[in-house]
Amino acid sequence: MCVLPFKETDKMSELTETQIESSDDELPEEVAFDASKSAALKSVKDALEAAKREKILLKEKRKKRQQLFQEQKKRKRLPQELLEEFDKEPQKQTGPSDNKCINKKVSTKPSDINKDKTKTGNMPKRISKSLPDSYTVMRIKDESAAKSLQQKAMDFIQSRLYGPGTKRTTNAELLSLKKKRGASKGAAVEFVNKKLGASQKARIARSNKRFIRQQKLIPF
Amino acid sequence: MGEFKVHRVRFFDYMPSGIRALAFNGDTERMAVARMDGSVEIFHCSDRFFQEKIIPGREQCGIEGLSWVGERLFSAGLNGGITEYDLTNQKVKYTIDAYKIPWYTFLVGCEDGTVKLFEVNEDKIQFERNLDRQKSRIVSLSWHTSGSKIAAGMMDMIQIFNVETGHSIHRMLADRGVGTSRSKECVVWSVVYLSDGTIVSGDSVGMVKLWDDQTGTLIKSHNVTKCDVLALSVSQNEDSLVAGTSEGTVVQFQFVSMVLGKDDKEWVRTRTFKNHTHDIRAVAEITTAVVSGGMDAQLVVKPLLDKIEVRSAASALRKIHFPHRRLVFCARNSGLMLFQYPGHLELWRLGESEGKGSSLFVKRNPEKLLHLKVKGEDHIRCSAVSPCGEWIVYSTASSLRLYRLHYQRFLFLFFQISKLPKVLSSANQLCFSSDSSHLFSASTQSSVHIVSLSQSGCKFVGTLKPKSGSHQAIHLLAASEDGEWLASANSDHEVHIYNLQTRKAHCTVPVYSSAVTAMGIHPTTNCLFMMYADQQMCEYSIEQKQYTDWSRTVQRKGLHRLWMERDTPCLNVMFNPQNPSHVILHDTYMLCIIDQSLPLPDDKTQFYNQLTLKSLTEDQRKSHSHAFKVCKTFKDILCVELISDQSLVVVERPLEDVATQLPAPIKQKKFAT
Repeated sequence: MCVLPFKETDKMSELTETQIESSDDELPEEVAFDASKSAALKSVKDALEAAKREKILLKEKRKKRQQLFQEQKKRKRLPQELLEEFDKEPQKQTGPSDNKCINKKVSTKPSDINKDKTKTGNMPKRISKSLPDSYTVMRIKDESAAKSLQQKAMDFIQSRLYGPGTKRTTNAELLSLKKKRGASKGAAVEFVNKKLGASQKARIARSNKRFIRQQKLIPF
Repeated sequence: MGEFKVHRVRFFDYMPSGIRALAFNGDTERMAVARMDGSVEIFHCSDRFFQEKIIPGREQCGIEGLSWVGERLFSAGLNGGITEYDLTNQKVKYTIDAYKIPWYTFLVGCEDGTVKLFEVNEDKIQFERNLDRQKSRIVSLSWHTSGSKIAAGMMDMIQIFNVETGHSIHRMLADRGVGTSRSKECVVWSVVYLSDGTIVSGDSVGMVKLWDDQTGTLIKSHNVTKCDVLALSVSQNEDSLVAGTSEGTVVQFQFVSMVLGKDDKEWVRTRTFKNHTHDIRAVAEITTAVVSGGMDAQLVVKPLLDKIEVRSAASALRKIHFPHRRLVFCARNSGLMLFQYPGHLELWRLGESEGKGSSLFVKRNPEKLLHLKVKGEDHIRCSAVSPCGEWIVYSTASSLRLYRLHYQRFLFLFFQISKLPKVLSSANQLCFSSDSSHLFSASTQSSVHIVSLSQSGCKFVGTLKPKSGSHQAIHLLAASEDGEWLASANSDHEVHIYNLQTRKAHCTVPVYSSAVTAMGIHPTTNCLFMMYADQQMCEYSIEQKQYTDWSRTVQRKGLHRLWMERDTPCLNVMFNPQNPSHVILHDTYMLCIIDQSLPLPDDKTQFYNQLTLKSLTEDQRKSHSHAFKVCKTFKDILCVELISDQSLVVVERPLEDVATQLPAPIKQKKFAT
């Protein structure tokens, strides 16, 4: 229960004001206990109702957001027909491409796959109507679990040796310092990026060739 | 000597891969080196560190640890596999998928905190059991010599495990350091467990700490560097310890007594070597030297001068940058060059020049004709291009592919020969005959398969097998000009010569103590000229089945001291059709023409005398010149070839260009910069 002192004092001041208006000498008016009680209860009720309203508003907001996400997810998914195809039992199709399956990784939602208990590692035998014969369905989740530990290990080493906190410099700086302190002092080293403007250089070379050919400067 | 037009080629962007692990086998004196791209190389420590075997890697393969078990070599990678290598055939024997958990140290420690024990059987290794699982990742491991305890370096601490029970005995906490590094966890990058119970650890704060395993306390700590100490290694008799840091320095500690004569020994920091520019990821101590390797992709051998008695070639600092195998091949008759990268091949056409002088004007630039990517994940093991330029072949550990191409002015035809004989599944070395009609493929058991090439495709002709001898892989093949003879050299120092008409073994060159690094058959005299890793040379007459007189003179007189002190092996032997007495050789830092008609130099004559000879008159020159004409104009040479129009092609790979693509080095504050 929250007490709202301001409202009460307002009420009190209202009451006292009326009193003052009437007369200073008179006895204070009897404020009925009921009136003040009801006023207090009303204020409490108002507060509770306001809290409830806020909760409802939040709920609605959350619902809307959830719906929006669902719709976005739906848009990303493959059409429902394809998913149903994958869920179906394998149909007996004798074809020359049975043995030559190229594993194509189709990224379906893991939650859908989890519901379907028939998804195991023995996927390559599945053939469905709409998929071309040489395509199969495979879970990515199985493969990624193994790789993640390796990736974690590599990231750990990389971050400890080359990540933030390590005092690293560039190879250009290393060579420049060598030249500066060497027996024959030289200028600092800066590496040329050959890839800069590669397309422009190629264009210029081509136009030069064309010009030379046009002017028949070199016997062809 | 002669004038040559030289094509100076620098567009072979070969990038060596960084060194990740080293393992020394004291019994066979071999050093196994694992690189970041998954390839493993075996160096022979007492044969001038010649690179005997190369096992190529694969895409996305990283090796984290390497270990010898007797004569067998095992490695563990981040991809979760333990691999055993077949060193005879130079390939991977098998890989155990260790439950898809990545490994930091060979055979035991894991990313998820478990320590797994494996048992090494006769032909395979088998998972035995797990020790107690820990919460943090295990970064490094070391066995105690008794085999009953293991020290594991983890995040912020070191734990000692009892192997029998699998439980942890002690937990020793490593300091995090001062300043900004307090917030980061301290990673114990490497641990070494000594036989007297001392544990040495190197961590990311830059400290080398000594711990006592009985009480589980710190004995001493040495501040070696401001950045990380990444690698530790102890010598065989445990009196010397080396630590490699991120800055590229190697620090040595020795177990000596502070006062002469007294018995109380302790670990004292003695030497510091600064031979690397980038992080050192692996160090190893062999009997007389400290070997280190890291992200700058060079293997540095620093001999410890207190262990060496005689000043010889073995006592000099040795840096190995490039592989001891040919990566560049030339189609002599058509001016095409083939570059072998780990994952692809490039075919280039050489440019044309005109004019006179020391530097000629380039009329037409060299152009790249073909970029051929390897199918599959394996790296290329060997490749070759035929002298006419019409055939290209390459082999990985699992497949061999042959291509036919036709290039004429504006027409470029290229297709793969799909129907190959079954024997051509993989090759250790490939070679075309001089008339491009046959392909020789070296395969298992030191045998060579012959395949004939024609318009219609290729057909298997026969197999050449040595009469007796080892089954080691062949690493060099040489075919004669007239198409009659083929020579093969394998890793057991055996050189077999075969008669191609009868397809039978003809003779065997007497085995020499050093490995053959380059060989070639003379076009007219049919003498096999061989260069060895210890810089010796010899000439063997195939028809007469004996060493030639010139060769015997060389052996008797001995070679000049400066020639013998060269520290890189000769990788190619060529002959000049216009001058039959000339032999052209090269190594990484020089190009040499040996004139067999001139007298040999003895130790007192000036060896590098080309400049001096220029200033003398004609008559004086005749009396002063000797057989070895060395040219030092070119540096970091990967290949020298003589093509048909009497011009030389020199392929250089300047080390500064390699440095542009290395990973970032640590920032070091140097005085006056």
